[in-house]
Amino acid sequence: MVNDETVVTHPAIEEDSCKGCGRCVAACPRGCLEMKTTLNKMGIKPVGYKGEGCIGCAICFYNCPEPYAIKVVKA
Amino acid sequence: MKVVEQKGMYQKFPRSGKDTRVTHYCPGCGHGIVNKLVAECCAEMGLQDQTIFVDPVGCGVFTYYYWDAAHISAAHGRASAVATGSCRARPDAVTIAYQGDGDLGAIGFNNAFQAASRGENFACIFINNSLYGMTGGQMAPTTLEGEKTTTTPFGRDPDVTGHPLHVCEVFGQLQAPVYIARTSVADTKRIMQTKQAIRRVFELQKEHKGYCVLEILAPCPTNLRMDALKAAQFCMNEMEREFPLGTFRDVEKNIGVVESAPATEPSPLLQVKAVPQVKSCAELFAEKTVVPPAENDPSFSEIRFKFAGFGGQGILSLGLTVAEAARLEKRHTLWFPSYGPEQRGGSASCSVVVSGTPIGSPTVEHPDVLVCMNQPSYERFVGDVRKGGTVIVDATVPVTRQPPEGVKLVVWPAIKMAEDFGVPKAANTMMLAALIKLACTGLKDENLEQALVASFAKKPELGVKNLEILRKAEATLV
Repeated sequence: MVNDETVVTHPAIEEDSCKGCGRCVAACPRGCLEMKTTLNKMGIKPVGYKGEGCIGCAICFYNCPEPYAIKVVKA
Repeated sequence: MKVVEQKGMYQKFPRSGKDTRVTHYCPGCGHGIVNKLVAECCAEMGLQDQTIFVDPVGCGVFTYYYWDAAHISAAHGRASAVATGSCRARPDAVTIAYQGDGDLGAIGFNNAFQAASRGENFACIFINNSLYGMTGGQMAPTTLEGEKTTTTPFGRDPDVTGHPLHVCEVFGQLQAPVYIARTSVADTKRIMQTKQAIRRVFELQKEHKGYCVLEILAPCPTNLRMDALKAAQFCMNEMEREFPLGTFRDVEKNIGVVESAPATEPSPLLQVKAVPQVKSCAELFAEKTVVPPAENDPSFSEIRFKFAGFGGQGILSLGLTVAEAARLEKRHTLWFPSYGPEQRGGSASCSVVVSGTPIGSPTVEHPDVLVCMNQPSYERFVGDVRKGGTVIVDATVPVTRQPPEGVKLVVWPAIKMAEDFGVPKAANTMMLAALIKLACTGLKDENLEQALVASFAKKPELGVKNLEILRKAEATLV
């Protein structure tokens, strides 16, 4: 299990649930999301986290039309 | 550690016969966002155990798979009527009807309007995406003036098809509703406003204050023929000009309360405005060619076809081609499609009946000719084929069960041949080649070829290409 103090704020993406519409990428105020070049189970290029910059605002979560494609973990 | 994640929805959705974690909505659909907000508000307010959702017909039909609460499915347009019954039978529960603009604005408008006029104790969440989504982007009552849809290809002309219907403004003329608002899910700010509005609806319903209607403008990227971001822009720039956002009424906050007198004085009867010039039917259809009537020929016995496969494989077009060929021969013919609510993927099928005498029913339970391009369709229909009939199945489909006795099975590599000829989308044309070569349609070859070319009337070069590979394919079949 992850220790609370060591967790970094980040979006947790379930790639197989992403339909690749790109709404979260456009909405992220820090520009820390991007579309990946690899395919998911549905044959769609899903969204990916650039690895840094997330402030945990959850704007990506609210812009996403899918319930389980993206969630935000706050430290 | 805190996690922002979905609340109020099931972990898995048991739709299409298997568990999945994705919704059936297209990428970038506004429905998905609204579904998430409704489930979240319902869960956050602890109302899951006392909420009854009334599900519509339309793209929102599958909400019973998603929201973890009680559900009743209503017939098309009848969600408000069913919700009336539900909220009267269970006055302690929170009843929410979830409807789209085809469901509420068109077929069910009177149901919703009368429920609002009676001030029934339920809330209606109304999704306005300016067109019919599930059936393929036809004009809805809410379609904007000049907006192109599949049934208004030159843009909506108000003289012929009327003006956009403003549901909130119309309901605003009634005295009974306690809350009327219009929001949007086009961008983050609007999404958060929508969430507040949905919370307000749940608050009012929890206290059983009366009828609420919340109209939500939602982008429909698939039918607007745009990507998700452009569709959201369309929502903000075009739709909001016609449908301004805002709270039209909130009785508790004393916003927009209507007194008993009508809002405007009626003008005297003699000043009737000129009626707009309406085009006659003859003018509207003047450019269309007249279809010659079918001729009776009792010697031609009825042939029933079933075409089945994935949506997008051209199954419905193949059926249309056969029906068109029958029409060219002046046979009686009917084409009857069947497909699920998904706009992308999913299985589709169509029935075609060709006959020398008038046809009784367009449905085909026991086909003479079955054409299958995917495994689910093969397994579903192969047992129904009539004795002496023919089953043509694509070579990619595993023959898991044998057809009934006396039925001829032909395995035909249509998908592979189309790829080999460099036109991967023409697998349906390859199936037509098999139909011609097996001579099981009862129709003349040249009419089938002519019908194929006619099906590409808008893209003549594709018609020529398809005809060319059709002839090549016929030559390869022994």
